[in-house]
Amino acid sequence: MAEAQPQATGYQSRMRKSTRRLCNWHGAWAAATLLMAFGPGFFWHRALGLTLLAVGLDVAMGIGMILATKKYVEDLDELQRRIFLNALGIAVGVGLVVGVPWTVMDAYRVIRFHANFGLLVVLQGLTFLVSFLYGTWRYR
Amino acid sequence: MKNRLKVLRAERNWTQAQLAEALDVSRQTINAIETGKFDPSLPLAFKAARLFGLRIEEIFHDQDPAAL
Repeated sequence: MAEAQPQATGYQSRMRKSTRRLCNWHGAWAAATLLMAFGPGFFWHRALGLTLLAVGLDVAMGIGMILATKKYVEDLDELQRRIFLNALGIAVGVGLVVGVPWTVMDAYRVIRFHANFGLLVVLQGLTFLVSFLYGTWRYR
Repeated sequence: MKNRLKVLRAERNWTQAQLAEALDVSRQTINAIETGKFDPSLPLAFKAARLFGLRIEEIFHDQDPAAL
């Protein structure tokens, strides 16, 4: 006769909920950032009050996104958290190692193109993605 | 670190997913522990020991022969 089945505690359902919350906050922050970036030029003709309101909304959504990410990391189990934090560490490191010399070279006009913060964010995002996928593959 | 997690699980006819749920971790974590790619924390090792009704050293072993 088969042994009694272990008691389910719902790690997967908790992670599904946590991931959904993370996606919602990231989506809300991205939408608020788009509104802040394009609203003044396209919707309210640079009205200062509305622009400040959009900035405030973006900061509020950003705080929510940070807290949702913190909760997500806390909800991860120890292996998933290791993979996530390793990827995050590599992404932050690459951002610093590439970003600082890039800024210095721009300041001293060693390079022709200007240091662009947006490109640095894209580089960090891609580095995180690759590192995360590698970590997942390594412990598969 | 070596462990008997796979054997103990098989003896009880549990799947990796069922053991993962019982230990409140992902199936990937159970697989990584069973294949020796990842060593669990002490709290997780205690949890596994409680679940199987065994002592930690009956499940997890140090790979260094000098330590035995």
